[in-house]
Amino acid sequence: MSANDGGTFDAGARPDFWPDFWPGFSPGDWYAIAADHDVIPGHIYRTTLGGHDLAVWRTRDGTVQIWRDRCPHRGVRLSLGEVAGDELRCQYHAWRFARGGACTYIPAQPAMKVPGTIHAEVWPAAEAGGLIWSGIDPQGAPPALPAGTVVRALPVARPAAVVAEALAETDWPGLALVVQPADAQSAIVRGVATDGDCLAADRLLRALRRRIEQNGPEQNGGERGA
Amino acid sequence: MQEWRTMTPDPILWNDWHPVAARCTLDPGRAHHTVLLHVPLVVTIDAAGTIIARRNDGAPLQQCERYGLVWVCLGTPVQPVLAIPEADEPDRPPVVVGAIGVRAAGPRVIENFLDLGHLGYVHAGYLGDDPQTRVLPYDVAPLPDAGVHGGLIATRCRMYQPKASPAATEGFLVDYFYKVERPLATCLYKDNPVHRDRFDVIYLFVQPVTEVTSIAHPLLLCLPDGTTPAALRAFQQIIFMQDKPILENQRPARLPLYDGAELPIGADRSSVAYRRWLAAIGLRWGVITATEAAGAPR
Repeated sequence: MSANDGGTFDAGARPDFWPDFWPGFSPGDWYAIAADHDVIPGHIYRTTLGGHDLAVWRTRDGTVQIWRDRCPHRGVRLSLGEVAGDELRCQYHAWRFARGGACTYIPAQPAMKVPGTIHAEVWPAAEAGGLIWSGIDPQGAPPALPAGTVVRALPVARPAAVVAEALAETDWPGLALVVQPADAQSAIVRGVATDGDCLAADRLLRALRRRIEQNGPEQNGGERGA
Repeated sequence: MQEWRTMTPDPILWNDWHPVAARCTLDPGRAHHTVLLHVPLVVTIDAAGTIIARRNDGAPLQQCERYGLVWVCLGTPVQPVLAIPEADEPDRPPVVVGAIGVRAAGPRVIENFLDLGHLGYVHAGYLGDDPQTRVLPYDVAPLPDAGVHGGLIATRCRMYQPKASPAATEGFLVDYFYKVERPLATCLYKDNPVHRDRFDVIYLFVQPVTEVTSIAHPLLLCLPDGTTPAALRAFQQIIFMQDKPILENQRPARLPLYDGAELPIGADRSSVAYRRWLAAIGLRWGVITATEAAGAPR
């Protein structure tokens, strides 16, 4: 049904399961998924990579944790939870998960030694160039971007492959840009301004977005050569 | 694979009764539009109080009224609207809490109602409190004298509750039992702070809108303890509003029925039994079956 055929709700159409890779998203690559400054102490930053919802937070010493945004117990988004010291506490049953993902405490059964099988799903994490990077099984080190100031992330309602293609068509003096494939229909452009002029970068990126989004979604890179 | 699918209607839900409106909220000046199992409906009441539910496409449906709620069956009812003996007790007229939209699959909403482990956190200060969060052992069994698909009963449930109901002036260890009588109909019986020999009864009926959107219709059959219907309603609305953000952030949205999808512990006995029962009776709506999961990419 469509959203408005007399119904109260938009049904939403997010798939339960995503393939591990599609155009613009490869399991062996690193992707920038946040800026360092997005993940401030005590905050859980939420983003999506390749259709996978991620929760990003830091332990007290500042180490970045990137976890699947889903409690293994009853599926609640961990980004709804709270950072408590070096642990993340799920909002539903207050299960606590430590650095590395292991569940340490289950309040409903406080005397129980928590089985080692109860674990948040941990994703690879790296910090480089003012950005936080992740991927399914990324090889080597994240791309080395030139020194600069991290620009404002720009979501684009087009597939990553389409966005990457558009980026490649133009020269971007003073900018080093990368594409975060969010889901099959959308991407986020991230990067650094080597001259520190974030306002100019933002203007250029917004113009790029307008141009890309003016083309209909039928030019869907996700459909090609899948 | 999608969160919701345009599919053959689930035969169990298609041939069962679901609440779609409450008489007390219908207005002769304004038709009530809603959706049941993807089917748009309109419910009207005239000045004489006659209620008519119709499908927008004009196809026939079955309609009746019980407990202050308007019930619809889109298919051929295999059984009547479920019987609530307590509704006939003269000192506890049914109180409709209201229709609460929730972007969650119906089975997720029912499972949350059965869940004891969240009371001390999600409902802290009301139905539980940290650090008294331990879920004491309880029993789950098939429900005797259930409807055509059977059901479940969870007994010996106990939870320390600071404010078990609007009339509670102090915390106490509350005795509970739960019944699941239909896939999307559940209830609990809990100690009343004044009448220690009888139980307050709280029903939760879930109107399935799409597979991942629902309308909750809680119904209260509470003993006279000085609480007004408005106060009873307000209390339950607070409780439900505490659950709503949890329900709307469960992924996958549909309740997984296959092994290994989610990791239960002993305190989740009710939830485990509910999932197994849904799998056993073959419910397909708002759930991810083992067959479907086996065909998924990951």
